[in-house]
Order: sequence, then C-alpha cells, then structure tokens
Amino acid sequence: MAKFWAVFKREYLERVRTKWFIIGTFVFPLLFAGLMFGQAVLSNKAIRGARVSNIQILDVGTGRFADEVRARIAGPAGAPESIPIVRVAPNEQAAAESLAVEAVKSRRLQGYLVLDTAAVSGSRARYAARDASSVGITELIERAIEGVVLRQRLEREGLDSRKLEDLMRVNLSLKTDRVTDRGVGGAGRASMVLAIVIVVVLYMTLILFGSSILMSVVEEKTTRVSEVIAASVKAELLLAGKVLGVASVALTQQAVWLASAVTLYFTRGPILAKFGVGSATPIPMPDVSFGVGVLFFAIFIFGFTFYACLFAAAGATVNSTQDAQAAAGPVTMMIVVAFMFAQPVFLAPDSALAVALSWIPFTSPVILPLRLALTELSLLEKIGSVLMLMVSTGVAVWFSAKIYRVGMLMYGKRPSFRELGRWIAQA
Amino acid sequence: MPQYALDIRDVTKRFASHLAVSNLSLQVPAGSVYGLLGPNGAGKTTTIRMILNVIAPDAGSIAVLGQSVRDSTVLDRVGYLPEERGLYRKMQVRRLLRFLGELKGIPPRVADPRITEWMERLSLKTPEKDWGLSKLDELSRGMQQKVQFIGTLLHDPDLVILDEPFSGLDPINAQALKDTIVELKRRGKTVIFSTHLMDNAERMCDAVCIIARGEKVLDGTMAQVKSAGGDRTIALALAGSAGNGVTAILADRALVSRADDHDKYYEIELAPNADAQVLLRRLVDAGASITRFERVTPSLHQIFLQRVGAHGIEEGMSGHG
Repeated sequence: MAKFWAVFKREYLERVRTKWFIIGTFVFPLLFAGLMFGQAVLSNKAIRGARVSNIQILDVGTGRFADEVRARIAGPAGAPESIPIVRVAPNEQAAAESLAVEAVKSRRLQGYLVLDTAAVSGSRARYAARDASSVGITELIERAIEGVVLRQRLEREGLDSRKLEDLMRVNLSLKTDRVTDRGVGGAGRASMVLAIVIVVVLYMTLILFGSSILMSVVEEKTTRVSEVIAASVKAELLLAGKVLGVASVALTQQAVWLASAVTLYFTRGPILAKFGVGSATPIPMPDVSFGVGVLFFAIFIFGFTFYACLFAAAGATVNSTQDAQAAAGPVTMMIVVAFMFAQPVFLAPDSALAVALSWIPFTSPVILPLRLALTELSLLEKIGSVLMLMVSTGVAVWFSAKIYRVGMLMYGKRPSFRELGRWIAQA
Repeated sequence: MPQYALDIRDVTKRFASHLAVSNLSLQVPAGSVYGLLGPNGAGKTTTIRMILNVIAPDAGSIAVLGQSVRDSTVLDRVGYLPEERGLYRKMQVRRLLRFLGELKGIPPRVADPRITEWMERLSLKTPEKDWGLSKLDELSRGMQQKVQFIGTLLHDPDLVILDEPFSGLDPINAQALKDTIVELKRRGKTVIFSTHLMDNAERMCDAVCIIARGEKVLDGTMAQVKSAGGDRTIALALAGSAGNGVTAILADRALVSRADDHDKYYEIELAPNADAQVLLRRLVDAGASITRFERVTPSLHQIFLQRVGAHGIEEGMSGHG
C-alpha cells in the first residue's frame, strides 16, 4: 500500500507542479471571469453610449416628418437642434449628398441620414457613416423612423398614438421549468447549460488527461524507467497508482473550477454593481440533487478509469512518442464517437438511442451524465447503467493491466492484435 | 543469512517461439561477487528479470535471500541497476531518489540523509552546487549514471544485481563502481553482475557462471572455472612481428586448435594429443625469436571463447564487448 501511495503521489505531484496545470487550473477561471465581467461591463457601456450626435439629416421633401424623426433620435432629454436638417429638392439630392460625404470624410460629420418619400411610407431610409455597422446606432435610427411612421399611420386612422404606445408596452419573460418525477423544479435552460458544460469538460478531461497517461507510459518505456519500477512494484499497482493519480489531478482541477464558478455566481452581482452595471441578468442555477451529484462523481471516476486504462495499454504497445498517437487512435476514436452521439441525445434525452447508449460501456461515461442533467432516469436505469459501467471498467482494467504488464518491458515492433491476445494469455 | 543469496533451480523460460532460458540452475554464495557471463542474447537479462520477479519462469524455482521471489517483500532487499539507464528525465534529482527509495519501502525521512551522504560521496553535492535540486535532464550522462547507481543502493540492499554495469562508463566512473562493489562485498553484501567484459569479471568475481543460448555452460568459483580450462594453454611472446612461417604453424589444426592473436603475443590452445615440445621446436625451426613460451592457466576470456565457441554461439559474437 505504501508503494501504491508512492506511485500515486509521484504521478499527482509531478503533474500538479507543471506550469500547464497551474495555467489550466487558475488562469482559466480568471480568464473566464474577466471575459464575463468585461463583456457585461462593455455591453452595458455600449448600450448606454449609443447616442447619436453630430449627424445630419438630408430631408428630400418630407417636411415635418424629418423634424419628428430628429426629435426621436435626440431622445426626450436631448437637444434636437444639434442635428441639422438640410432640406433639398429631389433634383438637388445628389449634390447635397456628395457634400455630406465630404463632411464625413473630413470628420466634420459622423454620418448622414437620407429621408425621402420611401421613408415616409415606411419602406426604406438610408444611413451612411463611418460606423454604419454599429448596431446600437442603426437600431436607434430605425426605431425612431418606425415610431414616426407608426404614429402618422395611427393618426390617419384617428387613434391616439401615445395611448396606443402605452397599451402596446408588454415585456414578457418566459421562465422554463423542468418537470421531474419529484415535481416541478429547477430551470430547464440551466439544465441544458449544465449538460453542455459536462460534455465539454468531460471531453477535454478524457482527451487531455488520457493522452497524458499515454505519454507517461511511453516515456517510462523509452527511458526504461519501467524496468526499474517493475523490479520494485507489481505492474498492476503501477497502473492503478498512475490512473488514480492522474484522475485526482483532473478532479483537483475541476474542483478549483467548480469553486471559482460558485464564487463567481455569488459575487457577480456586487462586482458588476461596482462597475455601474445595475441589474445583472440573473443566471439560473441547475437543479442537481445530492444523489445525482454522487452519480456524476461515480460515472466520472469509472468512465475516466475505463478510458485511462485503455490509453495506458495503448501506450504499453509502442516504443516511441511518434508511434504513441497512432496507438491511441482507436481509443481516441471511441471517445470521439461517444461525443458525436452527444448531440442527438441532447436533443432527445429520452429516445431509444439515448437509452441504448447509456448501457454501452464506451458511450455511457459521456451519455449518462448528459441524460442525468437533461431528464429524469428511472431508478433501474440509474443503478443498472452505472453497474454496467463499473463492470465494464473492471474488465477494461483487467485487460489493460495484462497488456501493460507484458508491454512495459517489451521492445521491438508494435504487436498485432493477435499478439496482444497472446500477451493477455501469457500475463 | 542463508548459505545462498540466490538459488535458481531448473528454471526454464520460453517466449513465443524461442527458448530464452533452458533448465538453468545456479547458486550464488552469500557475500560473494558473482559474474553472470555470456554473449549478447544468451539469456542474462531474462534470467535477471526472473530473479526480480518481473517475469515468471515457466518451470523451476527461484529463491532470493532464502525466500521465494513470488513473495514480493524480498525484493525490498534487492537493488537492481538495469542495463539501460531508466530514470524520469523531468524530475528533480532528490525527489526522484526519494521516490525510488519509497518504492523499496524506505520513507523519505530515512532516505533523505542517505541521499545527501551518497550525493556528497559521488560529488553530486558540493558546497558550490547541489545537483539534487536540478532536474535530471540538466545533468551530464555520467552524473545521471551516478544518480541511477544511488537509486540502486539507497535502500542498502543485501543483494545487488547489476546488469552490464560497466557498459558506457568512463574510466573514472568505472573505477568508482569497482571500488563500490569491493566495499559492498566487505560489508557482507552479495553482488551479481552480468557482463561480457571478461577482464572485469576475472579481476572482481569470486565465482562465475557462463551461459550461452539460455543454457549454463560452466559455473563455479574462479579457481574451479580456471582449472576447467585445462592445462593446454600456452602463452607465447615474440620479439618482433610474426613471420609467415609462424602464422602457418599456428594455423596447423593438428597442433593448435586455437590461437588468440595479439600480433606479438599469443594465447594458444593446444590441439588434443599435440605436444607442446613439438610446437616449440617447430617455432624455433621457423626462425621465430621467442621471448616467452610458457604453460599458463587460461584467462577467463580464453575459457569463454573456448567453451562458448565450442557450444556454438551465433556467428559474429565474441566475448569482446
């Protein structure tokens, strides 16, 4: 047992000490927080800063319409006089426009808006500016023109436009609830976000840490460390220490991520308020019961072990880092296929396909947590599929240990599948 | 302490299609320096791996320090230096040595003072520089070999197994290794090393075993092995380079079954039923100016060539490393 700890400790500490781990674990949440706050603050600024100033309206025979548009663009508190209106006859439009273009070019004007009869009818207007793609400004102008057109139409029909605007102001927000056997609870969209987060984190963990195990086995072979270790501890013990050590590294990283996510969740409002963002859009919390949390953990441990052992066995069959990626190909392929099924399962978590995939060993580590987040599984399904995963992990460990035991001291050409069978038989 | 530090009985190991070790028995007396000699591919490394319980024999039994190797606790008392150096390149030297100690059941607090002592002794730790704080791949090849050597001996093993320890060592490190082996023997430890360098083995070993093609060819104490070489070896030295006449005489298979030619010095094995007097007379008649003509006990090198050659090793393999 002391030797198992020695191996476990080495795998864990040597990995945790690398700069990649430190960057991945601590810088990533900081970056994420920075992005989140930055985005909130900037978009808040952008919305509030979307004021139109220093533009010119080219009124091609619309009269009062242009005045009203100007008033709406300037806003109730603004100064309509700051937006000059140049009134031209249709045959002078081209000349006036080229003058306006010159003004924009020389930065005397930010942009100019062309209003003609098409604008009055509500079909078309034109805005030309250096920042013509700025959504905030174009939307503001669009809304101003639409407002005037609407008001004029209503007036023509004999209706009080101001009253109508009041009546039409409805701001509905749709709250989505998830129905489970225990009743209504949690937020449907939050579950979906949770499911996506699980899939992404799981994929990254399996691929990154899986290949890390692969490379460490290959490194032990190429540096012949495996021989020194084999003379002291059993191959099975080394494999177990390695897999669990690396799994702990992954768990450590995820714990830090989870902790920062929770911290962020609770401190987000106050921090945003400091930046002057009054009400942050609330983030709904997914509904995860303690039991489901334990299931997530179990699935992660067994699923990770399943794939980690396969990676280790693949590493034991080759002698160089160049061959390692090729040997890992089949295992990586299994993971990729499992994740390809994530999308159909995501869309229909209770379909026959989804249920079947929860029972297949190599897809269940991916599909099960996804379905747990999205839908309610029957007790039989929960226990059965997790048991199935445990048993198949046991089998994978057994096979991998045999291949690993023989392979870690075997140098020479890569074995064929038939030779692998012989390794398993002889170990 | 049992009589034998290592007792191998009738061990056989077969890989897929070839027989790596066949019916091998050998006993290594406790407290001796023992040489496992054989050409490349003779089965030395396979034998060592079976001793370390890394692979299991198909038949036969192996006892180390009086215990069966199936009982893996005994391996904590064995130190092993593999033929090809095996260490984690990216690890800090001291942490690596602690890890190797832990693998042998030595907790870090016990290992630490020993590591310091060894590192100072092998000048890996001097007042100016402590290499223990460096990563292994910052060390020169020679220093890495020293680290591996410390890893082998850190847990103060009773049985030390060195697989080709002299290969790739510079003269200074080779001398340090010889000194350490002598010291280990003085402290009552048993040292087994495999080599194909006969000179080293002859000078250092109390007993040897020569194996070829997985089978034991000859074993016993150095004296026994030497006497098994017979008294048909003649040392011949000439004043000048050998003429054609001398070369022709030495090629005469009725008289000489083998001559190890060093140009001016020969180690000659007489053909069966040949008379040394006849050889001497013919050499004199051929005009050779002889400075030495003496019956000698054959060198281990000679015995190796004689026995392994007779046993029919693969073409192109000789006792010279």
